[in-house]
Amino acid sequence: MAVRKRSYRGYSGDLTPMWSRFLIVTRYAFKTVFSSKFLTAFFVCCFFYPLGCAVAIYLNQNLRVLALLNIPAMFDVDGRFFFHFLNVQLVLAFVITALVGPGLVSSDLANNALPLYLCRPFSHAHYVFGKMMVLVTLLSLITWIPGLILFLIQASLAGVGWLTANLWMAGAIFLSSGVQILVLCLLSLALSAWIKRKLAAGAALLGVFFFGAGLGQAINASLSTRSGSLLNIGELMASVEITLFRVYSETPVPSDMAWLALLTVCVFCLLLLERKVRAYEVVKG
Amino acid sequence: MSEASWRLWSSQIWAILRLELRKTLLARRGLWIYLLAFAPALIFAGHSIIQMKTGRTCDIGDDTHVYAGVFQLFFIRLSIFFGCVGIFMNLFRGEVLDKSLHYYFLAPVKREVLVVGKFLSGLLASMAIFGTSTVLSFFALYWHFDSNVRQEYFYHGHGLEHLAVYLGVTLLACIGYGGVFLAAGVLFRNPLYPTVIVLVWEAISGFVPETLQHFSVIFYLKSLCPVAVPASVLMGNGGKGSPFALLAVNPTPAAAATAVLGLLILFTALVVFTGRQVRRMEIDYGTD
Amino acid sequence: MSENGSALGIVFEDVSKFYGDVLGVNRVNLSIPPGITSLVGPNGSGKTTLMNLITGLVRPTRGRISVLGIAPDQPEELFRVLGYCTQFDSFPRGMTGYQFVDSFLRLFGYPRPHARDLAEQAIERVGLADSAGRKIAGYSKGMRQRIKLAQAICHNPSVLVLDEPLNGLDPLIRAETIALFRSLAGEGRHLLISSHVLHEVDVISDQVVLLTSGYVVAEGKIHSVRDEIQEHPMQILIRCNNPAELASQVFQRDCAAVEARIHNDGMGLLVKTRDADRFYLMLNHIAQNGINIESVAPADDDVLSVYEYLVGTGESTK
Repeated sequence: MAVRKRSYRGYSGDLTPMWSRFLIVTRYAFKTVFSSKFLTAFFVCCFFYPLGCAVAIYLNQNLRVLALLNIPAMFDVDGRFFFHFLNVQLVLAFVITALVGPGLVSSDLANNALPLYLCRPFSHAHYVFGKMMVLVTLLSLITWIPGLILFLIQASLAGVGWLTANLWMAGAIFLSSGVQILVLCLLSLALSAWIKRKLAAGAALLGVFFFGAGLGQAINASLSTRSGSLLNIGELMASVEITLFRVYSETPVPSDMAWLALLTVCVFCLLLLERKVRAYEVVKG
Repeated sequence: MSEASWRLWSSQIWAILRLELRKTLLARRGLWIYLLAFAPALIFAGHSIIQMKTGRTCDIGDDTHVYAGVFQLFFIRLSIFFGCVGIFMNLFRGEVLDKSLHYYFLAPVKREVLVVGKFLSGLLASMAIFGTSTVLSFFALYWHFDSNVRQEYFYHGHGLEHLAVYLGVTLLACIGYGGVFLAAGVLFRNPLYPTVIVLVWEAISGFVPETLQHFSVIFYLKSLCPVAVPASVLMGNGGKGSPFALLAVNPTPAAAATAVLGLLILFTALVVFTGRQVRRMEIDYGTD
Repeated sequence: MSENGSALGIVFEDVSKFYGDVLGVNRVNLSIPPGITSLVGPNGSGKTTLMNLITGLVRPTRGRISVLGIAPDQPEELFRVLGYCTQFDSFPRGMTGYQFVDSFLRLFGYPRPHARDLAEQAIERVGLADSAGRKIAGYSKGMRQRIKLAQAICHNPSVLVLDEPLNGLDPLIRAETIALFRSLAGEGRHLLISSHVLHEVDVISDQVVLLTSGYVVAEGKIHSVRDEIQEHPMQILIRCNNPAELASQVFQRDCAAVEARIHNDGMGLLVKTRDADRFYLMLNHIAQNGINIESVAPADDDVLSVYEYLVGTGESTK
């Protein structure tokens, strides 16, 4: 065989850092997400409530306005305020998760795109993390980030004393949002990976929340217990939130049980993702 | 229509049933429907086991109310609802997503016959699954009672009569929701929208004007249930009220004949409409 | 079905199909006779659209189609005489090869023993008898292609529409499948095949339909189509011992040649002429004058050349 002169040389320049490779997946996923006009419009609408709250906080601290109305304050900016704020934003976060999450992995699985990703120096973890960052970014932008901004606005208006006395609220905002974002992201990604059809995965996400709530109630009514609430992801997240914000004396589910149940959900979702995000599929029979 | 035509259509419907039942009843990916369906049976079995182990005595009337509450608020609204979403939406929308609908369109079958065959297969599958669950959960609930009490309730009381009515309601629920989601699967590319719309509509239907209530499946089904759900059943959480209490409200129940007829008319209209849509349907798998 | 349905074949009358603003096919008038007709054209030219129109999977925006006198919107009649092997590489889930063919045969209303016999015959004919009991999801691409073919031919249709049926088949199976097509066509059936493999189209087809950008640019037997392409002179390759002398003689005798080129191997002359008959007549005289002519053959009287003239760059690559 003739020896041919090798004129091809591989790329020998600088490589991007390994840790940042997952952002490629995120970047392209964002492009797909924001190609939907409805979703973009909805996402923008998610900022109206934080904006309204910011205005309300400002007015609440505005002595001239309060003097006009002859009241000491319109409302208290306390744990309850941020608890309700996050409740509203987390409902919107759920809607965004239902719209965005199901299509993240299922489209790649259904169109056999995973071998294309995984045959490169790109691991499962990079892939999952990259996809997750889409949801984490979107949900963070409408939950804890505006929450902390409101906290800072209030702190700047109310003074250092208020800030030092209520610094725990910042932690509560971040942690509460973080836990719920993590659960929503992992759940929607796991369902997206398990159910190859994007649309069915979306319906499944709805089903997990509604069915879980109903099943929990049915168990509670039938067995005269409160253990059924462990199946109600909404109540689990509410219990964690109530505990962090110290708003009510009693939670739907004991706080430690709620944390444990949510951790179990996260682990289960990670196991599902590990099993399903593969470059090949074995067919038996 | 000649007799030969009817014979051909019936053999074609039978062939469609065989094809579809294999996919629905025996497929692993339908496992979640079984979990949805048999959850109440498992709950009631757990209830009976606990009662037997602790030796506590229950009032059969209370348990009857508990069954009524779980049946109306959980089994119909969630189990059968989502089960029918999964079964009936899959009949056409699922085939489009799997890119296998064209095989049916390339067979010498009238498209209306195809729609009827697929609907019947969905109905058979859903009835087999949810009907079995109704019976199992009914007996599971009363299992822990003394045999004399059980016999008295079933054979001399309203037990079997209630079971027959619950089975009838299950069948009508499968027919009603089946028709709705069969049509939705043909009309909508994204089944999430009709699922959410119907779910919300069914939830608020108790509070809309009476005329509009007739366009809700749950309105007829609630009217047919033999036992009303008392508020005490819903106070599960240490006496705290539950939002589910609102769903049990049935201020203007329909007469039984009206309810059955209304559902059958609704389902017939939906199947005829679906047949028309499928007749005009083009194969366009596109991209997801 | 009309009495002379068989004679009608597949007929398109001024058929157009638009997908929104995108043109699928436009003003197609075709009559496809029995035998093997190949649909040839680049990607996106409308081949699959045409096939889907014949089978009623899409409806025309305008115009009429009939297959043996039956309209595509009568599937209950049409698919008793038509079989379609689509391009879609997807199957109902969880089925074995046998189940796939047998189940859809039962939709015809055939009793079980008859459906079983037909299914087994069709599977045997495509060479999948050994694998029929396995799930289709585990088949190779070639096997999936063959099981689709089995499903299309199992009910012995008079018309077969095959969208790239040789895709994914290895050379041996390709040859067997082509033999199958010839055998089916020999029984008087209409076969409409789309393919990109032009040398195979040359070998198997009785007539071709060339499509580009949704328009039919040519239809008929290859030679007839070639004859009608006036703007491209016919290329003729003459193998001889003295091509230079032959070239000189060709131009001296006014053989209607417009160009002559010595073949790359130096053992032949490639001549372009607008009047092939006159050229052949003159060549007879030249051959009697001492030049040893070994062979004379048209160099661009095939599908590839016709394709390039009508669809491609406009120049034959020969």
